Amino acid sequence: MNDLFLLFWSVMIFASIAWYGFLLFYVGIKGGREIIVMIKTFDERNAQEKKPEPK
Amino acid sequence: MNLAPIDWIIIVVYLVGCMSAGIYMRRYIRGVDDFAVAGRTMDLNLGIASLAATELGLVTVMYTAQLGYTNGFAGATMGVLMATAMYFVGRTGFVIGPLRRAGVMTIPELFEKRFGVKVRWLAGLFIVMGGVLNMGIFLRLGGEFLVVATGMPVQRLEWVMTALLGMILLYTVLGGMLSVLVTDYIQFIVKGAGIVVTSILVISSLGWSNLVHGLWQCWEGTGGGAGQTLTAHPFNPLHSSNFGWMYILWQLVFQIAVVTTWQTQISRVLSSKDEATAKRMYRRTAFYFVGRFALPGLWGAAAMVYFSQHGGLPAALQGLTANEASLRATPAFLGLLLPTGFIGLLLAAALAAEMSTDSGYLLTWATVMYNDLISPCVKKPLSPAARLFITRALVLAIGLFLLFYGLWYELPGNAFDYLAVTGNIYLASVCTLLVAGLYWRRATSQGAYAALLLGAVGPITFLVVNLLIMKAKRMGAHLPVSPSLMQEWLLNFNQRFPNAQPIHPELAGALSFVLAFLGMLVGSLLSRSPEKRNIPATEVPA
Repeated sequence: MNDLFLLFWSVMIFASIAWYGFLLFYVGIKGGREIIVMIKTFDERNAQEKKPEPK
Repeated sequence: MNLAPIDWIIIVVYLVGCMSAGIYMRRYIRGVDDFAVAGRTMDLNLGIASLAATELGLVTVMYTAQLGYTNGFAGATMGVLMATAMYFVGRTGFVIGPLRRAGVMTIPELFEKRFGVKVRWLAGLFIVMGGVLNMGIFLRLGGEFLVVATGMPVQRLEWVMTALLGMILLYTVLGGMLSVLVTDYIQFIVKGAGIVVTSILVISSLGWSNLVHGLWQCWEGTGGGAGQTLTAHPFNPLHSSNFGWMYILWQLVFQIAVVTTWQTQISRVLSSKDEATAKRMYRRTAFYFVGRFALPGLWGAAAMVYFSQHGGLPAALQGLTANEASLRATPAFLGLLLPTGFIGLLLAAALAAEMSTDSGYLLTWATVMYNDLISPCVKKPLSPAARLFITRALVLAIGLFLLFYGLWYELPGNAFDYLAVTGNIYLASVCTLLVAGLYWRRATSQGAYAALLLGAVGPITFLVVNLLIMKAKRMGAHLPVSPSLMQEWLLNFNQRFPNAQPIHPELAGALSFVLAFLGMLVGSLLSRSPEKRNIPATEVPA
């Protein structure tokens, strides 16, 4: 029983290290792109707000 | 510990990059919607980064490492339970689906649609009370980690806390959720790198089999160092010396309540583009929560083994109480273990962890304060600029409260129990309201009042009684020469109840859930059936 628990925690710990390492790159790249898109959206909104209304 | 130039460079580059990005985002803030929920523009991966960054703070590292130090690898059990709860909610959309569809900014806002404005206000009050008290120890524990890991004199703690708070407030007050999202992203990367590198270094320096055997030895009482004996089974969470079944069952319920009700998590759900994004964000972040407990827990367990094999705790920690020593053992161990360059990375990661959590929490509680406590009381709608000003002022006010509370309050037990119990002040009742409000047509506002009040009884009793018992026992051990009125009262209390024992956290927690549930059930059934209101869970999205 104790060996099973030890095996379980060993898998959890090493899988966590691997998962954190993977997310670092995956979310790092994709999240960075999403920030750029978000900033562009806000830039466009700000630019539209600055445009004078047609008379 | 002396920081080498490379350590300083890493820390300064991180701080400058993070602060600049945070301050830059202030130009996009046009109103409270942008400030509080980033205009609901958050996409999946940014959501994962933000959710993970906010919920893994330095305070988390401190208490999960403490659990590892006292309970071995089994201390990470809560992480497994939380991951299970996250995945279940992400798969089914339980609570979070209808919440996102309702288009609200905070949870109490939904209660107004279902139970009326007074319930919204009362729920807002409980959320703010529980949330701010819960956050009260963040700055203190974060400061302690930095002071102990760098080997600074303890007298500098106040300065470290103040500097940390100043940096966090600067970008949070200016840029709100937009700044928080961008800085969370940077902080997610920095702390992710720090956690991975530190974990690998910890395993490679001690050796995996030495670590496992060392934990066995500490458990069997054959550890070499003074005071380095584990009292809980290091691998089996069900063992009678460890958490046991009751605690784990309570934690399972508690974690489901956390992932569906904890406002800082829910604010990411409400900021996401749509319901599907929110659910995917939960599913993909679920396993991150195993590591949130397992990796700092690994460092804590390693600290236990290391000190037991090297003659006990360092001199600076030997005069402390067992609770304080177990909190500070891991940063002290990491300070000894990590080589130049890695210390800089660890400190940058620690700063990132502290800043991401504090900023996210400050913003969340300030938003609830404005949206659910102040806004319903204002008869004439305020201008967008005035609303923004008030929300920013609230962020600042909560920040100052944190500084003073952190310096004054003394933890009566371990940090995890404090966080669980203060969170429970609102978790049990608000979770009951949410579930009943979304899925039970017969739920009434009277039931909601009863659930809110009864749900807070358990945790508040725990906080007050345990603090009293701790202070009374200490007073009994060190009699003051001329006691004040309060000290006399405590002495009397100690004489009348010499065997008074603190309330167990699982008892206080479970009691609050049972009472809140009963309050809702009995209160609703005893009152008139509600008029037919729209229940967001049954609405078809437009």
